[in-house]
Amino acid sequence: MFRTESDFPGVMADTHPHRDVFVSHVENSLDRLYSTALRLTRNPSDAEELVAETVAKAWACLHTLQDPDRCLPWMLRIMTNTFISEKRTARSKTPHEEYAEEPGDDTSFSLFERLHQPFLLWWGNPEQEFLDSVDRKDIEQALETLPEDFRVVVLLSDMEGLTYQEIAEALDVPIGTVRSRLARARSLLQKLLWDHALDKGLVTKQTLE
Amino acid sequence: MSDKPKELECEDAIRMVLEYLDNELKHGDHNALEAHIHKCRSCYSRVEFEKRLKGLVGEAPKTVAPTDLKLKIKKITDSF
Repeated sequence: MFRTESDFPGVMADTHPHRDVFVSHVENSLDRLYSTALRLTRNPSDAEELVAETVAKAWACLHTLQDPDRCLPWMLRIMTNTFISEKRTARSKTPHEEYAEEPGDDTSFSLFERLHQPFLLWWGNPEQEFLDSVDRKDIEQALETLPEDFRVVVLLSDMEGLTYQEIAEALDVPIGTVRSRLARARSLLQKLLWDHALDKGLVTKQTLE
Repeated sequence: MSDKPKELECEDAIRMVLEYLDNELKHGDHNALEAHIHKCRSCYSRVEFEKRLKGLVGEAPKTVAPTDLKLKIKKITDSF
Protein backbone atom coordinates (compact mmCIF):
# COMPACT_ATOMS: atom_id res chain seq x y z
CA MET A 1 0.00 0.00 0.00
CA PHE A 2 2.59 2.56 0.99
CA ARG A 3 5.68 2.73 -1.15
CA THR A 4 9.19 3.56 -0.12
CA GLU A 5 10.85 6.68 -1.44
CA SER A 6 13.00 4.50 -3.69
CA ASP A 7 9.92 3.34 -5.64
CA PHE A 8 9.27 6.89 -6.76
CA PRO A 9 12.64 8.42 -7.51
CA GLY A 10 12.32 12.10 -8.11
CA VAL A 11 8.59 12.17 -7.31
CA MET A 12 7.65 14.98 -4.94
CA ALA A 13 5.71 14.09 -1.81
CA ASP A 14 2.65 16.03 -2.92
CA THR A 15 2.16 13.84 -5.99
CA HIS A 16 2.59 10.64 -4.01
CA PRO A 17 -0.09 8.31 -5.35
CA HIS A 18 -0.75 6.89 -1.89
CA ARG A 19 -1.25 10.26 -0.23
CA ASP A 20 -4.99 9.78 -0.53
CA VAL A 21 -4.82 6.38 1.13
CA PHE A 22 -2.81 7.78 4.02
CA VAL A 23 -5.09 10.81 4.41
CA SER A 24 -8.15 8.59 4.39
CA HIS A 25 -6.52 6.41 7.06
CA VAL A 26 -5.94 9.51 9.17
CA GLU A 27 -9.53 10.72 8.75
CA ASN A 28 -10.94 7.31 9.68
CA SER A 29 -8.67 7.05 12.73
CA LEU A 30 -9.09 10.58 13.99
CA ASP A 31 -11.42 9.67 16.85
CA ARG A 32 -9.03 6.94 18.02
CA LEU A 33 -6.02 9.24 17.67
CA TYR A 34 -7.77 11.96 19.63
CA SER A 35 -9.01 9.54 22.32
CA THR A 36 -5.53 8.22 22.88
CA ALA A 37 -4.00 11.69 22.84
CA LEU A 38 -6.55 12.83 25.42
CA ARG A 39 -5.76 9.90 27.68
CA LEU A 40 -2.07 10.63 27.39
CA THR A 41 -2.19 14.40 27.88
CA ARG A 42 -5.37 14.64 29.96
CA ASN A 43 -5.95 18.04 28.39
CA PRO A 44 -8.07 18.67 25.28
CA SER A 45 -5.97 21.40 23.72
CA ASP A 46 -2.71 19.49 24.33
CA ALA A 47 -4.41 16.45 22.86
CA GLU A 48 -5.27 18.34 19.68
CA GLU A 49 -1.69 19.56 19.37
CA LEU A 50 -0.40 16.05 19.87
CA VAL A 51 -2.66 14.65 17.16
CA ALA A 52 -1.60 17.39 14.73
CA GLU A 53 2.09 16.75 15.42
CA THR A 54 1.60 13.02 15.08
CA VAL A 55 -0.09 13.31 11.69
CA ALA A 56 2.63 15.63 10.40
CA LYS A 57 5.39 13.34 11.66
CA ALA A 58 3.70 10.24 10.30
CA TRP A 59 3.54 11.82 6.86
CA ALA A 60 7.18 12.83 7.05
CA CYS A 61 8.29 9.28 7.81
CA LEU A 62 5.64 7.34 5.92
CA HIS A 63 8.34 5.30 4.24
CA THR A 64 9.14 3.71 7.61
CA LEU A 65 5.70 2.11 7.87
CA GLN A 66 6.43 -1.56 7.32
CA ASP A 67 2.99 -3.11 7.56
CA PRO A 68 0.11 -1.07 6.10
CA ASP A 69 -2.34 -3.13 8.14
CA ARG A 70 -0.73 -1.76 11.31
CA CYS A 71 -0.99 1.88 10.27
CA LEU A 72 -2.92 3.00 13.35
CA PRO A 73 -0.62 1.24 15.86
CA TRP A 74 2.31 2.76 13.94
CA MET A 75 0.82 6.25 14.30
CA LEU A 76 0.12 5.58 17.98
CA ARG A 77 3.77 4.67 18.43
CA ILE A 78 4.77 7.98 16.88
CA MET A 79 2.25 9.74 19.11
CA THR A 80 3.52 8.07 22.26
CA ASN A 81 7.12 8.75 21.33
CA THR A 82 6.30 12.42 20.76
CA PHE A 83 4.42 12.63 24.02
CA ILE A 84 7.23 11.02 26.03
CA SER A 85 9.92 13.23 24.44
CA GLU A 86 7.95 16.35 25.21
CA LYS A 87 7.41 15.17 28.78
CA ARG A 88 11.15 14.63 29.17
CA THR A 89 11.80 18.17 27.99
CA ALA A 90 9.24 19.57 30.42
CA ARG A 91 10.19 17.20 33.23
CA SER A 92 10.24 19.84 35.97
CA LYS A 93 6.49 20.44 35.69
CA THR A 94 5.03 17.27 37.20
CA PRO A 95 7.81 15.08 38.55
CA HIS A 96 5.49 13.38 41.01
CA GLU A 97 3.66 11.73 38.16
CA GLU A 98 6.72 9.81 37.06
CA TYR A 99 6.76 6.35 38.47
CA ALA A 100 10.22 4.89 38.35
CA GLU A 101 10.60 1.13 38.43
CA GLU A 102 11.33 0.29 42.02
CA PRO A 103 12.43 -2.96 43.57
CA GLY A 104 9.62 -4.52 45.50
CA ASP A 105 6.96 -3.00 43.25
CA ASP A 106 3.94 -5.07 43.89
CA THR A 107 2.79 -7.29 41.07
CA SER A 108 1.15 -9.67 43.44
CA PHE A 109 -2.27 -8.11 43.93
CA SER A 110 -4.82 -10.26 42.18
CA LEU A 111 -8.54 -9.62 42.21
CA PHE A 112 -9.12 -13.21 41.21
CA GLU A 113 -7.25 -14.50 44.22
CA ARG A 114 -9.17 -12.17 46.52
CA LEU A 115 -12.51 -13.27 45.16
CA HIS A 116 -12.28 -16.82 43.91
CA GLN A 117 -13.68 -19.37 46.28
CA PRO A 118 -13.13 -22.86 44.91
CA PHE A 119 -15.60 -24.49 47.24
CA LEU A 120 -18.36 -22.41 45.64
CA LEU A 121 -17.58 -23.95 42.25
CA TRP A 122 -21.03 -25.34 41.66
CA TRP A 123 -23.32 -22.62 42.97
CA GLY A 124 -21.64 -19.26 42.81
CA ASN A 125 -19.07 -17.25 40.98
CA PRO A 126 -18.02 -14.32 43.12
CA GLU A 127 -15.30 -13.17 40.76
CA GLN A 128 -17.71 -12.87 37.84
CA GLU A 129 -20.26 -11.19 40.09
CA PHE A 130 -17.58 -8.68 41.02
CA LEU A 131 -17.04 -7.85 37.36
CA ASP A 132 -20.81 -7.56 36.92
CA SER A 133 -20.74 -4.84 39.57
CA VAL A 134 -17.89 -2.86 37.98
CA ASP A 135 -19.21 0.00 35.88
CA ARG A 136 -17.61 2.20 33.24
CA LYS A 137 -16.99 5.01 35.72
CA ASP A 138 -15.08 2.68 38.04
CA ILE A 139 -12.73 1.65 35.23
CA GLU A 140 -12.24 5.24 34.08
CA GLN A 141 -11.54 6.37 37.61
CA ALA A 142 -9.03 3.60 38.20
CA LEU A 143 -7.29 4.36 34.90
CA GLU A 144 -7.11 8.05 35.72
CA THR A 145 -5.58 7.26 39.11
CA LEU A 146 -2.76 5.18 37.67
CA PRO A 147 0.63 6.88 37.56
CA GLU A 148 1.42 8.01 34.04
CA ASP A 149 3.93 5.31 33.10
CA PHE A 150 1.41 2.65 34.08
CA ARG A 151 -1.53 4.38 32.46
CA VAL A 152 0.35 4.64 29.16
CA VAL A 153 1.22 0.93 28.92
CA VAL A 154 -2.30 -0.17 29.84
CA LEU A 155 -3.70 2.26 27.30
CA LEU A 156 -1.43 1.06 24.52
CA SER A 157 -1.92 -2.62 25.30
CA ASP A 158 -5.52 -3.05 26.43
CA MET A 159 -7.17 -0.18 24.60
CA GLU A 160 -5.15 0.06 21.44
CA GLY A 161 -3.95 -3.51 21.08
CA LEU A 162 -0.31 -2.72 20.46
CA THR A 163 2.09 -5.64 20.75
CA TYR A 164 4.82 -5.59 23.39
CA GLN A 165 7.32 -4.89 20.62
CA GLU A 166 5.29 -1.92 19.37
CA ILE A 167 4.95 -0.57 22.89
CA ALA A 168 8.69 -0.99 23.47
CA GLU A 169 9.40 1.02 20.33
CA ALA A 170 6.83 3.63 21.27
CA LEU A 171 8.37 4.13 24.70
CA ASP A 172 11.94 3.48 23.64
CA VAL A 173 12.43 0.90 26.38
CA PRO A 174 13.40 -2.78 26.28
CA ILE A 175 10.61 -5.28 25.76
CA GLY A 176 11.30 -6.73 29.22
CA THR A 177 10.46 -3.35 30.72
CA VAL A 178 7.13 -3.36 28.88
CA ARG A 179 6.35 -6.80 30.25
CA SER A 180 7.13 -5.93 33.84
CA ARG A 181 5.56 -2.49 33.69
CA LEU A 182 2.33 -3.98 32.35
CA ALA A 183 2.30 -6.57 35.13
CA ARG A 184 2.74 -3.87 37.77
CA ALA A 185 0.20 -1.59 36.12
CA ARG A 186 -2.44 -4.29 35.98
CA SER A 187 -1.77 -5.30 39.56
CA LEU A 188 -2.24 -1.71 40.67
CA LEU A 189 -5.35 -1.29 38.52
CA GLN A 190 -6.87 -4.36 40.15
CA LYS A 191 -5.95 -3.05 43.60
CA LEU A 192 -7.65 0.26 42.79
CA LEU A 193 -10.81 -1.54 41.66
CA TRP A 194 -10.74 -3.61 44.83
CA ASP A 195 -10.29 -0.57 47.09
CA HIS A 196 -13.10 1.20 45.30
CA ALA A 197 -15.37 -1.81 45.78
CA LEU A 198 -14.49 -1.83 49.46
CA ASP A 199 -15.45 1.85 49.69
CA LYS A 200 -18.72 1.17 47.92
CA GLY A 201 -19.42 -1.71 50.29
CA LEU A 202 -19.60 -4.22 47.42
CA VAL A 203 -17.04 -6.41 49.11
CA THR A 204 -16.10 -6.49 52.73
CA LYS A 205 -12.85 -7.36 54.35
CA GLN A 206 -14.68 -10.38 55.74
CA THR A 207 -14.71 -11.78 52.25
CA LEU A 208 -11.04 -12.44 52.77
CA GLU A 209 -11.32 -14.35 56.01
CA MET B 1 10.74 -32.64 19.14
CA SER B 2 7.37 -33.90 20.39
CA ASP B 3 4.25 -31.98 19.39
CA LYS B 4 2.66 -32.78 22.71
CA PRO B 5 2.36 -29.64 24.86
CA LYS B 6 4.49 -29.72 27.99
CA GLU B 7 2.67 -30.27 31.28
CA LEU B 8 2.30 -27.17 33.38
CA GLU B 9 1.84 -26.78 37.10
CA CYS B 10 -0.75 -24.22 38.18
CA GLU B 11 2.00 -22.01 39.54
CA ASP B 12 3.56 -21.77 36.08
CA ALA B 13 0.22 -21.37 34.35
CA ILE B 14 -0.77 -18.47 36.60
CA ARG B 15 2.43 -16.62 35.72
CA MET B 16 1.64 -16.97 32.03
CA VAL B 17 -2.00 -15.90 32.01
CA LEU B 18 -1.58 -12.21 31.21
CA GLU B 19 0.94 -12.77 28.44
CA TYR B 20 -1.34 -15.46 27.06
CA LEU B 21 -4.22 -12.98 26.89
CA ASP B 22 -1.89 -10.42 25.29
CA ASN B 23 -1.04 -13.04 22.66
CA GLU B 24 2.62 -12.72 23.54
CA LEU B 25 3.46 -16.26 24.58
CA LYS B 26 5.73 -18.36 22.42
CA HIS B 27 3.87 -21.03 20.50
CA GLY B 28 4.93 -23.88 22.83
CA ASP B 29 3.96 -22.01 25.99
CA HIS B 30 0.69 -20.88 24.43
CA ASN B 31 -0.28 -24.47 23.65
CA ALA B 32 0.89 -25.67 27.06
CA LEU B 33 -1.30 -23.13 28.83
CA GLU B 34 -4.31 -24.00 26.69
CA ALA B 35 -3.80 -27.68 27.47
CA HIS B 36 -3.59 -26.87 31.18
CA ILE B 37 -6.76 -24.78 31.36
CA HIS B 38 -8.54 -27.49 29.45
CA LYS B 39 -7.95 -29.71 32.47
CA CYS B 40 -7.76 -27.28 35.39
CA ARG B 41 -10.99 -25.60 36.37
CA SER B 42 -9.40 -23.07 38.68
CA CYS B 43 -6.90 -21.84 36.09
CA TYR B 44 -9.64 -21.83 33.46
CA SER B 45 -11.74 -19.58 35.73
CA ARG B 46 -8.76 -17.32 36.24
CA VAL B 47 -8.18 -16.96 32.49
CA GLU B 48 -11.87 -16.21 31.93
CA PHE B 49 -11.81 -13.59 34.68
CA GLU B 50 -8.66 -11.86 33.44
CA LYS B 51 -9.94 -11.98 29.86
CA ARG B 52 -13.18 -10.32 30.86
CA LEU B 53 -11.42 -7.67 32.93
CA LYS B 54 -9.01 -6.90 30.10
CA GLY B 55 -12.02 -6.57 27.81
CA LEU B 56 -13.69 -4.13 30.21
CA VAL B 57 -10.59 -1.96 30.29
CA GLY B 58 -10.34 -2.07 26.51
CA GLU B 59 -13.98 -1.09 26.07
CA ALA B 60 -13.59 2.22 27.85
CA PRO B 61 -15.29 4.79 25.65
CA LYS B 62 -13.47 6.50 22.83
CA THR B 63 -14.01 10.22 22.53
CA VAL B 64 -15.14 11.81 19.28
CA ALA B 65 -12.60 14.20 17.79
CA PRO B 66 -13.81 17.80 18.04
CA THR B 67 -14.71 19.63 14.81
CA ASP B 68 -11.92 22.14 15.09
CA LEU B 69 -9.41 19.30 15.26
CA LYS B 70 -10.87 17.81 12.08
CA LEU B 71 -10.43 21.18 10.39
CA LYS B 72 -6.90 21.54 11.73
CA ILE B 73 -5.96 18.10 10.42
CA LYS B 74 -7.57 18.79 7.06
CA LYS B 75 -5.40 21.87 6.72
CA ILE B 76 -2.33 19.79 7.50
CA THR B 77 -3.18 16.98 5.09
CA ASP B 78 -4.13 19.46 2.34
CA SER B 79 -0.55 20.64 2.47
CA PHE B 80 0.88 17.13 1.84
